[in-house]
Amino acid sequence: MKKSLEEHLEEAAAFHGGDCPGQTLGVRLARAGLERLGVDDPLSNQWRKNLMVYVEIDRCAADAIMVVTGCRVGKRTLKIMDYGIMAATFINLQTGTAVRVLAREEARHLASVYAPDERNKYEQQRLAYRVMPDEELLNFEDVKVVTPAEDMPGSPISRVVCGKCGEAVVDMREVKVNGTNLCRSCASGGYFSR
Amino acid sequence: MCEPDQKTVAVEDAIGLVLSHDITEINARTHHKGSAFRRGHVITGDDIPKLLDLGKENLYVLEMNEDQMHEDDAAVLLAGAISGNNAQFMPEPREGRINIIAGVTGLLKVNVEALTRFNLVDEVMCATRHTNTVVQAGDIIAGTRAIPLVVEKKQVERAVAAANQADGLVSVLPLKSSRIALIITGNEVYTGRIDDAFEPVIRGKVEALGSSIASVTKCPDNLLAIRQAVLEARADADLVIMTGGMSVDPDDLTPLAAREAGAEISAYGSAVLPGAMFMAGYFEDGTPVLGVPACGIHHPRTIFDLILPRVLAGEKITSDDIARLGHGGLCLDCEECNFPVCPFGKSA
Repeated sequence: MKKSLEEHLEEAAAFHGGDCPGQTLGVRLARAGLERLGVDDPLSNQWRKNLMVYVEIDRCAADAIMVVTGCRVGKRTLKIMDYGIMAATFINLQTGTAVRVLAREEARHLASVYAPDERNKYEQQRLAYRVMPDEELLNFEDVKVVTPAEDMPGSPISRVVCGKCGEAVVDMREVKVNGTNLCRSCASGGYFSR
Repeated sequence: MCEPDQKTVAVEDAIGLVLSHDITEINARTHHKGSAFRRGHVITGDDIPKLLDLGKENLYVLEMNEDQMHEDDAAVLLAGAISGNNAQFMPEPREGRINIIAGVTGLLKVNVEALTRFNLVDEVMCATRHTNTVVQAGDIIAGTRAIPLVVEKKQVERAVAAANQADGLVSVLPLKSSRIALIITGNEVYTGRIDDAFEPVIRGKVEALGSSIASVTKCPDNLLAIRQAVLEARADADLVIMTGGMSVDPDDLTPLAAREAGAEISAYGSAVLPGAMFMAGYFEDGTPVLGVPACGIHHPRTIFDLILPRVLAGEKITSDDIARLGHGGLCLDCEECNFPVCPFGKSA
Protein backbone atom coordinates (compact mmCIF):
# COMPACT_ATOMS: atom_id res chain seq x y z
CA MET A 1 0.00 0.00 0.00
CA LYS A 2 1.45 3.31 -1.09
CA LYS A 3 0.37 5.16 2.07
CA SER A 4 1.11 3.93 5.57
CA LEU A 5 -1.51 3.09 8.18
CA GLU A 6 -0.45 6.18 10.11
CA GLU A 7 -0.95 8.44 7.10
CA HIS A 8 -4.39 7.01 6.46
CA LEU A 9 -5.39 7.33 10.11
CA GLU A 10 -4.32 10.96 10.11
CA GLU A 11 -6.19 11.75 6.92
CA ALA A 12 -9.29 9.97 8.19
CA ALA A 13 -9.23 11.84 11.49
CA ALA A 14 -8.84 15.14 9.67
CA PHE A 15 -11.74 14.40 7.33
CA HIS A 16 -14.03 12.98 10.02
CA GLY A 17 -13.08 15.45 12.72
CA GLY A 18 -11.36 13.27 15.28
CA ASP A 19 -9.99 9.78 15.78
CA CYS A 20 -12.09 6.92 17.18
CA PRO A 21 -12.30 3.10 17.10
CA GLY A 22 -14.76 3.27 14.19
CA GLN A 23 -12.32 5.35 12.14
CA THR A 24 -9.52 2.93 12.88
CA LEU A 25 -11.69 -0.03 11.92
CA GLY A 26 -12.74 1.72 8.72
CA VAL A 27 -9.14 2.41 7.74
CA ARG A 28 -8.06 -1.18 8.48
CA LEU A 29 -11.07 -2.58 6.63
CA ALA A 30 -10.41 -0.45 3.55
CA ARG A 31 -6.67 -1.10 3.47
CA ALA A 32 -7.20 -4.85 3.78
CA GLY A 33 -9.94 -4.87 1.15
CA LEU A 34 -7.81 -2.94 -1.33
CA GLU A 35 -4.82 -5.14 -0.66
CA ARG A 36 -6.92 -8.20 -1.47
CA LEU A 37 -7.83 -6.59 -4.79
CA GLY A 38 -4.19 -5.83 -5.50
CA VAL A 39 -4.74 -2.08 -5.29
CA ASP A 40 -1.64 -0.24 -4.16
CA ASP A 41 -2.61 3.35 -4.89
CA PRO A 42 -6.39 3.79 -4.97
CA LEU A 43 -6.11 7.48 -5.85
CA SER A 44 -4.05 6.80 -8.99
CA ASN A 45 -5.56 7.23 -12.45
CA GLN A 46 -5.70 3.48 -12.92
CA TRP A 47 -8.04 3.00 -9.98
CA ARG A 48 -9.84 6.31 -9.75
CA LYS A 49 -12.56 5.06 -12.09
CA ASN A 50 -12.23 1.36 -11.47
CA LEU A 51 -13.02 1.00 -7.80
CA MET A 52 -16.39 0.81 -6.13
CA VAL A 53 -17.27 0.24 -2.46
CA TYR A 54 -20.47 -0.82 -0.79
CA VAL A 55 -20.40 0.22 2.88
CA GLU A 56 -22.89 -1.51 5.15
CA ILE A 57 -22.91 1.04 7.96
CA ASP A 58 -23.51 4.78 8.07
CA ARG A 59 -21.14 5.52 10.93
CA CYS A 60 -17.53 6.67 11.44
CA ALA A 61 -16.08 3.78 9.43
CA ALA A 62 -17.87 4.97 6.29
CA ASP A 63 -15.91 8.24 6.35
CA ALA A 64 -12.62 6.43 6.86
CA ILE A 65 -13.38 4.08 3.97
CA MET A 66 -14.12 7.08 1.78
CA VAL A 67 -10.75 8.64 2.66
CA VAL A 68 -8.69 5.51 2.04
CA THR A 69 -10.40 4.36 -1.17
CA GLY A 70 -11.07 7.74 -2.76
CA CYS A 71 -14.58 6.47 -3.50
CA ARG A 72 -17.32 9.05 -3.08
CA VAL A 73 -21.10 9.09 -2.94
CA GLY A 74 -21.19 11.93 -5.44
CA LYS A 75 -18.99 10.01 -7.85
CA ARG A 76 -21.36 7.07 -7.44
CA THR A 77 -18.42 4.90 -6.48
CA LEU A 78 -19.46 4.62 -2.83
CA LYS A 79 -22.79 3.07 -2.00
CA ILE A 80 -24.23 3.18 1.50
CA MET A 81 -26.21 0.03 2.22
CA ASP A 82 -27.59 0.82 5.64
CA TYR A 83 -27.47 -2.70 7.10
CA GLY A 84 -25.96 -1.58 10.40
CA ILE A 85 -23.13 -4.08 9.91
CA MET A 86 -19.46 -3.15 10.23
CA ALA A 87 -18.59 -4.45 6.78
CA ALA A 88 -17.81 -3.21 3.32
CA THR A 89 -17.37 -4.77 -0.11
CA PHE A 90 -14.58 -3.58 -2.38
CA ILE A 91 -14.97 -4.11 -6.13
CA ASN A 92 -12.43 -4.00 -8.92
CA LEU A 93 -14.71 -2.79 -11.71
CA GLN A 94 -12.11 -3.75 -14.32
CA THR A 95 -12.48 -7.42 -13.54
CA GLY A 96 -15.65 -7.61 -11.46
CA THR A 97 -13.67 -9.14 -8.59
CA ALA A 98 -15.25 -8.27 -5.24
CA VAL A 99 -14.21 -8.94 -1.66
CA ARG A 100 -16.43 -8.35 1.38
CA VAL A 101 -14.57 -7.47 4.55
CA LEU A 102 -16.31 -7.79 7.90
CA ALA A 103 -15.04 -6.62 11.29
CA ARG A 104 -15.07 -9.73 13.48
CA GLU A 105 -17.21 -9.50 16.61
CA GLU A 106 -14.45 -11.39 18.48
CA ALA A 107 -12.06 -8.50 17.85
CA ARG A 108 -13.97 -6.38 20.37
CA HIS A 109 -13.06 -8.85 23.09
CA LEU A 110 -9.44 -9.06 22.00
CA ALA A 111 -8.90 -5.34 22.52
CA SER A 112 -7.60 -5.92 26.05
CA VAL A 113 -5.03 -8.38 24.73
CA TYR A 114 -3.61 -5.97 22.16
CA ALA A 115 -3.79 -2.84 24.34
CA PRO A 116 -3.44 -4.21 27.92
CA ASP A 117 -2.14 -0.98 29.40
CA GLU A 118 -5.11 1.10 28.38
CA ARG A 119 -7.95 1.18 30.89
CA ASN A 120 -10.45 3.22 28.92
CA LYS A 121 -12.44 0.73 26.85
CA TYR A 122 -13.00 3.10 23.97
CA GLU A 123 -9.36 4.09 23.80
CA GLN A 124 -8.32 0.47 24.27
CA GLN A 125 -10.30 -0.53 21.16
CA ARG A 126 -8.88 2.34 19.14
CA LEU A 127 -5.30 1.36 19.98
CA ALA A 128 -5.90 -2.39 19.65
CA TYR A 129 -7.50 -2.05 16.19
CA ARG A 130 -4.31 -0.40 14.96
CA VAL A 131 -2.11 -3.39 15.78
CA MET A 132 -4.38 -6.43 15.70
CA PRO A 133 -3.41 -8.78 12.78
CA ASP A 134 -5.83 -8.86 9.83
CA GLU A 135 -6.93 -12.43 10.54
CA GLU A 136 -8.03 -11.59 14.08
CA LEU A 137 -9.62 -8.28 13.20
CA LEU A 138 -11.33 -9.11 9.92
CA ASN A 139 -13.15 -11.74 7.91
CA PHE A 140 -12.77 -11.93 4.13
CA GLU A 141 -15.24 -13.32 1.68
CA ASP A 142 -15.19 -13.38 -2.13
CA VAL A 143 -18.57 -12.18 -3.31
CA LYS A 144 -20.29 -11.22 -6.54
CA VAL A 145 -21.84 -7.79 -6.95
CA VAL A 146 -23.89 -6.70 -9.91
CA THR A 147 -24.56 -2.98 -9.67
CA PRO A 148 -27.76 -1.87 -11.38
CA ALA A 149 -26.77 -0.09 -14.59
CA GLU A 150 -28.62 3.05 -13.53
CA ASP A 151 -26.43 3.25 -10.41
CA MET A 152 -23.16 3.30 -12.32
CA PRO A 153 -20.92 6.35 -12.54
CA GLY A 154 -21.54 8.30 -15.72
CA SER A 155 -24.04 10.72 -17.16
CA PRO A 156 -27.67 10.33 -16.10
CA ILE A 157 -29.37 7.89 -18.44
CA SER A 158 -32.85 9.37 -18.08
CA ARG A 159 -34.66 12.46 -16.86
CA VAL A 160 -38.42 12.61 -16.34
CA VAL A 161 -40.67 15.09 -14.61
CA CYS A 162 -42.83 13.94 -11.71
CA GLY A 163 -46.44 14.04 -12.75
CA LYS A 164 -47.47 15.40 -9.34
CA CYS A 165 -44.86 17.78 -7.92
CA GLY A 166 -43.25 18.66 -11.25
CA GLU A 167 -39.71 18.08 -10.00
CA ALA A 168 -37.21 16.39 -12.34
CA VAL A 169 -36.13 12.85 -11.52
CA VAL A 170 -33.00 11.33 -13.08
CA ASP A 171 -31.62 7.82 -13.49
CA MET A 172 -34.91 5.93 -13.45
CA ARG A 173 -35.71 6.73 -9.84
CA GLU A 174 -39.25 7.54 -10.87
CA VAL A 175 -42.13 5.19 -10.15
CA LYS A 176 -44.86 4.56 -12.65
CA VAL A 177 -48.30 4.73 -11.02
CA ASN A 178 -51.31 4.17 -13.28
CA GLY A 179 -49.23 5.20 -16.28
CA THR A 180 -47.92 8.40 -14.68
CA ASN A 181 -44.31 8.95 -13.68
CA LEU A 182 -44.07 10.04 -10.05
CA CYS A 183 -41.09 10.81 -7.86
CA ARG A 184 -40.67 8.38 -4.98
CA SER A 185 -41.81 10.96 -2.50
CA CYS A 186 -45.08 11.56 -4.32
CA ALA A 187 -45.58 7.89 -5.08
CA SER A 188 -45.20 6.43 -1.60
CA GLY A 189 -44.64 9.25 0.86
CA GLY A 190 -41.30 10.86 1.51
CA TYR A 191 -39.07 11.45 4.49
CA PHE A 192 -40.52 14.94 4.79
CA SER A 193 -43.97 16.44 4.99
CA ARG A 194 -45.12 19.80 3.71
CA MET B 1 -6.32 -33.49 -73.65
CA CYS B 2 -6.25 -36.34 -76.20
CA GLU B 3 -9.34 -38.33 -77.07
CA PRO B 4 -8.14 -41.93 -77.64
CA ASP B 5 -8.56 -43.49 -81.01
CA GLN B 6 -11.96 -44.69 -81.98
CA LYS B 7 -12.10 -47.91 -83.93
CA THR B 8 -14.60 -50.33 -85.32
CA VAL B 9 -14.86 -53.76 -83.72
CA ALA B 10 -17.18 -56.71 -84.36
CA VAL B 11 -19.69 -57.06 -81.51
CA GLU B 12 -18.37 -60.48 -80.57
CA ASP B 13 -14.87 -59.05 -80.13
CA ALA B 14 -15.94 -56.03 -78.12
CA ILE B 15 -16.14 -57.62 -74.65
CA GLY B 16 -14.27 -55.45 -72.16
CA LEU B 17 -14.07 -52.50 -74.52
CA VAL B 18 -15.61 -49.06 -74.02
CA LEU B 19 -18.51 -47.96 -76.17
CA SER B 20 -17.77 -44.57 -77.71
CA HIS B 21 -21.36 -43.50 -78.41
CA ASP B 22 -24.92 -44.03 -77.17
CA ILE B 23 -26.89 -46.88 -78.75
CA THR B 24 -30.53 -45.98 -79.14
CA GLU B 25 -33.43 -48.40 -79.06
CA ILE B 26 -36.97 -47.79 -80.14
CA ASN B 27 -39.57 -49.84 -78.37
CA ALA B 28 -42.07 -50.76 -81.09
CA ARG B 29 -44.85 -51.33 -78.56
CA THR B 30 -44.50 -48.12 -76.55
CA HIS B 31 -42.87 -46.06 -79.31
CA HIS B 32 -40.43 -45.05 -76.64
CA LYS B 33 -37.04 -43.97 -77.84
CA GLY B 34 -34.17 -44.15 -75.42
CA SER B 35 -30.64 -45.30 -75.04
CA ALA B 36 -30.06 -48.99 -74.56
CA PHE B 37 -26.36 -48.48 -73.91
CA ARG B 38 -24.73 -45.25 -72.85
CA ARG B 39 -21.52 -43.86 -74.14
CA GLY B 40 -18.76 -45.15 -71.88
CA HIS B 41 -20.44 -48.47 -71.19
CA VAL B 42 -18.00 -51.38 -70.87
CA ILE B 43 -19.35 -54.18 -72.99
CA THR B 44 -19.93 -57.57 -71.33
CA GLY B 45 -20.77 -61.00 -72.77
CA ASP B 46 -24.39 -60.57 -71.69
CA ASP B 47 -24.73 -57.48 -73.87
CA ILE B 48 -23.99 -59.27 -77.13
CA PRO B 49 -27.44 -60.83 -77.84
CA LYS B 50 -29.15 -57.51 -77.16
CA LEU B 51 -26.73 -55.62 -79.39
CA LEU B 52 -27.36 -58.12 -82.16
CA ASP B 53 -31.12 -57.73 -81.58
CA LEU B 54 -30.69 -54.01 -82.11
CA GLY B 55 -28.97 -54.69 -85.41
CA LYS B 56 -25.51 -53.87 -84.20
CA GLU B 57 -22.90 -56.21 -85.58
CA ASN B 58 -20.05 -53.74 -85.36
CA LEU B 59 -19.39 -51.08 -82.75
CA TYR B 60 -17.29 -47.98 -82.40
CA VAL B 61 -15.20 -48.55 -79.30
CA LEU B 62 -12.47 -46.73 -77.52
CA GLU B 63 -9.22 -48.40 -76.99
CA MET B 64 -7.83 -48.19 -73.49
CA ASN B 65 -4.17 -49.00 -72.94
CA GLU B 66 -2.54 -49.68 -69.57
CA ASP B 67 -1.70 -45.98 -69.11
CA GLN B 68 -5.36 -45.09 -69.26
CA MET B 69 -8.45 -45.70 -67.18
CA HIS B 70 -12.20 -45.50 -67.54
CA GLU B 71 -13.87 -42.26 -66.46
CA ASP B 72 -15.86 -44.08 -63.75
CA ASP B 73 -12.75 -45.48 -62.12
CA ALA B 74 -11.14 -42.06 -62.38
CA ALA B 75 -14.14 -40.38 -60.76
CA VAL B 76 -13.95 -42.65 -57.72
CA LEU B 77 -10.25 -41.86 -57.24
CA LEU B 78 -10.84 -38.15 -57.73
CA ALA B 79 -13.79 -38.04 -55.32
CA GLY B 80 -11.77 -39.87 -52.69
CA ALA B 81 -9.00 -37.30 -52.88
CA ILE B 82 -11.34 -34.31 -53.01
CA SER B 83 -13.35 -35.33 -49.92
CA GLY B 84 -11.92 -33.99 -46.69
CA ASN B 85 -13.40 -34.17 -43.19
CA ASN B 86 -17.14 -34.76 -43.11
CA ALA B 87 -17.39 -34.96 -46.89
CA GLN B 88 -18.82 -38.21 -48.28
CA PHE B 89 -19.72 -39.83 -51.59
CA MET B 90 -21.09 -43.05 -53.02
CA PRO B 91 -18.44 -44.70 -55.21
CA GLU B 92 -21.00 -45.20 -57.96
CA PRO B 93 -20.57 -42.62 -60.70
CA ARG B 94 -23.59 -41.67 -62.75
CA GLU B 95 -22.60 -40.86 -66.29
CA GLY B 96 -19.07 -40.45 -65.08
CA ARG B 97 -19.92 -37.98 -62.33
CA ILE B 98 -19.75 -38.35 -58.57
CA ASN B 99 -21.46 -35.96 -56.21
CA ILE B 100 -19.81 -35.26 -52.88
CA ILE B 101 -22.19 -34.54 -50.04
CA ALA B 102 -21.94 -33.03 -46.56
CA GLY B 103 -21.77 -35.71 -43.87
CA VAL B 104 -22.83 -33.26 -41.18
CA THR B 105 -24.56 -29.91 -40.96
CA GLY B 106 -21.94 -27.23 -40.75
CA LEU B 107 -19.70 -24.77 -42.50
CA LEU B 108 -18.41 -25.79 -45.92
CA LYS B 109 -14.72 -25.13 -46.34
CA VAL B 110 -13.28 -25.22 -49.84
CA ASN B 111 -9.55 -24.92 -50.34
CA VAL B 112 -9.99 -22.57 -53.26
CA GLU B 113 -6.33 -22.43 -54.25
CA ALA B 114 -5.97 -26.21 -54.19
CA LEU B 115 -9.20 -26.50 -56.15
CA THR B 116 -7.75 -24.25 -58.83
CA ARG B 117 -4.54 -26.31 -58.94
CA PHE B 118 -6.69 -29.43 -59.27
CA ASN B 119 -8.68 -27.95 -62.12
CA LEU B 120 -5.52 -26.90 -63.96
CA VAL B 121 -4.78 -30.60 -64.42
CA ASP B 122 -5.94 -31.81 -67.85
CA GLU B 123 -8.82 -34.27 -68.26
CA VAL B 124 -10.38 -33.83 -64.77
CA MET B 125 -12.67 -31.32 -63.10
CA CYS B 126 -14.23 -30.49 -59.79
CA ALA B 127 -16.94 -27.90 -59.15
CA THR B 128 -17.97 -26.88 -55.62
CA ARG B 129 -20.34 -24.63 -53.77
CA HIS B 130 -18.84 -21.49 -52.29
CA THR B 131 -16.59 -21.82 -49.31
CA ASN B 132 -17.94 -20.65 -45.93
CA THR B 133 -21.52 -21.58 -46.87
CA VAL B 134 -23.67 -23.25 -44.23
CA VAL B 135 -24.68 -26.67 -45.54
CA GLN B 136 -27.05 -29.28 -44.18
CA ALA B 137 -26.08 -32.92 -43.80
CA GLY B 138 -26.81 -34.58 -47.16
CA ASP B 139 -26.43 -31.41 -49.25
CA ILE B 140 -24.34 -31.69 -52.40
CA ILE B 141 -21.16 -29.70 -51.87
CA ALA B 142 -19.10 -30.71 -54.92
CA GLY B 143 -19.17 -32.69 -58.14
CA THR B 144 -16.26 -34.28 -59.97
CA ARG B 145 -15.59 -36.24 -63.11
CA ALA B 146 -13.01 -37.00 -65.72
CA ILE B 147 -13.61 -35.11 -68.94
CA PRO B 148 -12.95 -37.82 -71.59
CA LEU B 149 -14.37 -41.33 -71.42
CA VAL B 150 -10.92 -42.72 -71.20
CA VAL B 151 -8.50 -40.74 -69.20
CA GLU B 152 -4.75 -40.76 -68.84
CA LYS B 153 -3.80 -42.31 -65.49
CA LYS B 154 -1.03 -39.79 -64.97
CA GLN B 155 -3.49 -36.90 -65.13
CA VAL B 156 -5.68 -38.56 -62.52
CA GLU B 157 -2.64 -39.15 -60.37
CA ARG B 158 -1.63 -35.50 -60.66
CA ALA B 159 -5.09 -34.31 -59.72
CA VAL B 160 -5.30 -36.74 -56.79
CA ALA B 161 -1.91 -35.54 -55.56
CA ALA B 162 -3.05 -31.91 -55.75
CA ALA B 163 -6.13 -32.70 -53.66
CA ASN B 164 -4.28 -34.92 -51.19
CA GLN B 165 -1.70 -32.23 -50.60
CA ALA B 166 -4.53 -30.03 -49.30
CA ASP B 167 -6.05 -32.88 -47.21
CA GLY B 168 -9.00 -32.77 -49.56
CA LEU B 169 -10.56 -29.89 -51.40
CA VAL B 170 -13.85 -29.78 -49.52
CA SER B 171 -14.63 -30.40 -45.87
CA VAL B 172 -17.40 -29.49 -43.44
CA LEU B 173 -16.75 -28.02 -40.01
CA PRO B 174 -19.57 -28.93 -37.62
CA LEU B 175 -21.14 -25.96 -35.83
CA LYS B 176 -20.61 -26.03 -32.10
CA SER B 177 -23.81 -25.70 -30.12
CA SER B 178 -22.86 -22.59 -28.18
CA ARG B 179 -24.29 -20.76 -25.20
CA ILE B 180 -24.51 -17.13 -26.18
CA ALA B 181 -24.65 -14.08 -23.93
CA LEU B 182 -26.58 -11.28 -25.58
CA ILE B 183 -25.92 -7.74 -24.40
CA ILE B 184 -28.31 -5.16 -25.73
CA THR B 185 -27.18 -1.56 -25.27
CA GLY B 186 -29.01 1.74 -25.54
CA ASN B 187 -30.61 4.14 -23.08
CA GLU B 188 -33.79 4.11 -25.13
CA VAL B 189 -34.19 0.36 -24.66
CA TYR B 190 -32.91 0.18 -21.09
CA THR B 191 -35.26 2.87 -19.83
CA GLY B 192 -38.17 1.30 -21.66
CA ARG B 193 -38.65 4.26 -23.99
CA ILE B 194 -38.78 1.87 -26.93
CA ASP B 195 -39.01 -1.90 -27.20
CA ASP B 196 -35.88 -3.78 -28.09
CA ALA B 197 -35.96 -5.21 -31.60
CA PHE B 198 -32.59 -6.97 -31.56
CA GLU B 199 -33.31 -9.94 -29.33
CA PRO B 200 -35.84 -11.74 -31.57
CA VAL B 201 -33.63 -11.24 -34.64
CA ILE B 202 -30.45 -12.51 -32.97
CA ARG B 203 -32.28 -15.34 -31.22
CA GLY B 204 -33.77 -16.53 -34.51
CA LYS B 205 -30.44 -16.59 -36.30
CA VAL B 206 -28.59 -18.20 -33.41
CA GLU B 207 -31.17 -20.93 -32.91
CA ALA B 208 -31.30 -21.67 -36.64
CA LEU B 209 -27.63 -22.63 -36.35
CA GLY B 210 -28.18 -24.89 -33.34
CA SER B 211 -27.01 -22.56 -30.58
CA SER B 212 -28.93 -20.91 -27.78
CA ILE B 213 -29.17 -17.58 -25.98
CA ALA B 214 -27.97 -18.24 -22.42
CA SER B 215 -28.57 -14.73 -21.10
CA VAL B 216 -29.92 -11.38 -22.20
CA THR B 217 -28.69 -8.23 -20.46
CA LYS B 218 -29.96 -4.79 -21.30
CA CYS B 219 -27.62 -1.88 -20.62
CA PRO B 220 -27.83 1.88 -20.88
CA ASP B 221 -25.17 3.76 -22.81
CA ASN B 222 -22.88 3.69 -19.82
CA LEU B 223 -19.36 2.41 -20.17
CA LEU B 224 -19.13 0.91 -16.69
CA ALA B 225 -22.54 -0.71 -16.92
CA ILE B 226 -21.76 -2.30 -20.28
CA ARG B 227 -18.36 -3.46 -19.09
CA GLN B 228 -19.90 -4.98 -15.97
CA ALA B 229 -22.50 -6.75 -18.09
CA VAL B 230 -19.82 -8.19 -20.37
CA LEU B 231 -17.71 -9.39 -17.45
CA GLU B 232 -20.75 -10.94 -15.80
CA ALA B 233 -22.21 -12.57 -18.90
CA ARG B 234 -19.09 -13.99 -20.49
CA ALA B 235 -18.32 -16.19 -17.49
CA ASP B 236 -21.22 -18.41 -18.51
CA ALA B 237 -21.05 -18.10 -22.29
CA ASP B 238 -19.14 -19.50 -25.26
CA LEU B 239 -19.78 -16.34 -27.25
CA VAL B 240 -20.77 -12.77 -26.40
CA ILE B 241 -22.93 -10.84 -28.84
CA MET B 242 -23.36 -7.11 -28.26
CA THR B 243 -25.90 -5.01 -30.09
CA GLY B 244 -26.24 -1.28 -30.51
CA GLY B 245 -23.71 1.40 -29.68
CA MET B 246 -21.60 0.43 -32.68
CA SER B 247 -21.63 3.75 -34.47
CA VAL B 248 -19.47 6.82 -33.95
CA ASP B 249 -21.79 8.95 -31.80
CA PRO B 250 -20.66 9.93 -28.31
CA ASP B 251 -23.24 7.52 -26.88
CA ASP B 252 -21.77 4.61 -28.82
CA LEU B 253 -19.57 2.79 -26.36
CA THR B 254 -19.78 -0.87 -27.30
CA PRO B 255 -16.29 -1.42 -28.79
CA LEU B 256 -14.69 0.55 -25.95
CA ALA B 257 -16.65 -1.38 -23.32
CA ALA B 258 -15.65 -4.69 -24.90
CA ARG B 259 -12.04 -3.60 -24.87
CA GLU B 260 -12.24 -2.46 -21.27
CA ALA B 261 -13.74 -5.80 -20.32
CA GLY B 262 -10.57 -7.42 -21.63
CA ALA B 263 -11.37 -8.19 -25.25
CA GLU B 264 -8.87 -7.65 -28.00
CA ILE B 265 -10.80 -6.25 -30.94
CA SER B 266 -9.56 -7.89 -34.12
CA ALA B 267 -11.83 -5.87 -36.36
CA TYR B 268 -13.99 -2.81 -35.89
CA GLY B 269 -15.48 -1.70 -39.16
CA SER B 270 -16.05 -4.18 -41.96
CA ALA B 271 -15.99 -4.25 -45.74
CA VAL B 272 -19.59 -5.38 -45.95
CA LEU B 273 -22.82 -3.52 -46.62
CA PRO B 274 -24.94 -3.81 -44.59
CA GLY B 275 -22.64 -4.19 -41.61
CA ALA B 276 -19.90 -1.59 -41.97
CA MET B 277 -19.92 -0.90 -38.21
CA PHE B 278 -19.46 -4.55 -37.25
CA MET B 279 -16.99 -5.57 -34.56
CA ALA B 280 -15.22 -8.86 -33.83
CA GLY B 281 -12.84 -9.61 -31.01
CA TYR B 282 -11.64 -12.18 -28.55
CA PHE B 283 -11.10 -12.37 -24.82
CA GLU B 284 -7.90 -13.77 -23.41
CA ASP B 285 -9.43 -17.23 -22.96
CA GLY B 286 -10.49 -17.27 -26.61
CA THR B 287 -14.16 -16.45 -26.04
CA PRO B 288 -15.27 -14.46 -29.07
CA VAL B 289 -17.24 -11.22 -28.88
CA LEU B 290 -19.22 -9.84 -31.81
CA GLY B 291 -20.73 -6.37 -32.08
CA VAL B 292 -23.80 -6.10 -34.28
CA PRO B 293 -24.75 -2.64 -35.54
CA ALA B 294 -28.32 -1.44 -35.93
CA CYS B 295 -28.55 -2.65 -39.55
CA GLY B 296 -28.95 -6.08 -37.98
CA ILE B 297 -32.52 -5.17 -37.08
CA HIS B 298 -33.96 -4.07 -40.38
CA HIS B 299 -31.86 -5.88 -43.00
CA PRO B 300 -32.69 -9.55 -43.34
CA ARG B 301 -29.02 -10.45 -43.87
CA THR B 302 -25.89 -8.59 -42.84
CA ILE B 303 -22.27 -9.34 -42.11
CA PHE B 304 -23.50 -11.02 -38.92
CA ASP B 305 -24.93 -13.84 -41.08
CA LEU B 306 -21.56 -14.26 -42.78
CA ILE B 307 -19.49 -14.29 -39.61
CA LEU B 308 -21.69 -16.06 -37.04
CA PRO B 309 -21.45 -19.53 -38.69
CA ARG B 310 -17.69 -19.19 -38.94
CA VAL B 311 -17.42 -18.28 -35.27
CA LEU B 312 -19.68 -21.20 -34.31
CA ALA B 313 -17.46 -23.46 -36.44
CA GLY B 314 -14.55 -22.43 -34.24
CA GLU B 315 -12.74 -20.21 -36.73
CA LYS B 316 -10.78 -17.30 -35.36
CA ILE B 317 -11.88 -14.24 -37.29
CA THR B 318 -9.06 -11.89 -38.24
CA SER B 319 -9.10 -8.44 -39.78
CA ASP B 320 -7.84 -10.12 -42.95
CA ASP B 321 -10.94 -12.36 -43.04
CA ILE B 322 -13.16 -9.32 -42.66
CA ALA B 323 -11.27 -7.35 -45.33
CA ARG B 324 -11.63 -10.22 -47.80
CA LEU B 325 -15.40 -10.02 -47.47
CA GLY B 326 -15.35 -6.74 -49.39
CA HIS B 327 -15.44 -8.57 -52.72
CA GLY B 328 -19.02 -9.83 -52.79
CA GLY B 329 -19.85 -8.00 -49.61
CA LEU B 330 -22.48 -5.80 -51.19
CA CYS B 331 -26.03 -6.95 -50.49
CA LEU B 332 -28.37 -6.20 -53.39
CA ASP B 333 -31.35 -5.60 -51.10
CA CYS B 334 -33.59 -7.79 -53.23
CA GLU B 335 -37.30 -7.49 -52.66
CA GLU B 336 -37.37 -11.16 -51.75
CA CYS B 337 -34.24 -12.28 -49.93
CA ASN B 338 -32.93 -15.63 -51.13
CA PHE B 339 -29.72 -15.69 -49.09
CA PRO B 340 -27.61 -17.81 -49.20
CA VAL B 341 -28.57 -18.42 -52.84
CA CYS B 342 -27.14 -15.06 -53.91
CA PRO B 343 -23.79 -13.38 -54.37
CA PHE B 344 -23.74 -11.81 -50.89
CA GLY B 345 -20.65 -12.87 -49.00
CA LYS B 346 -19.40 -15.28 -51.64
CA SER B 347 -15.93 -13.85 -52.10
CA ALA B 348 -13.72 -16.06 -50.00
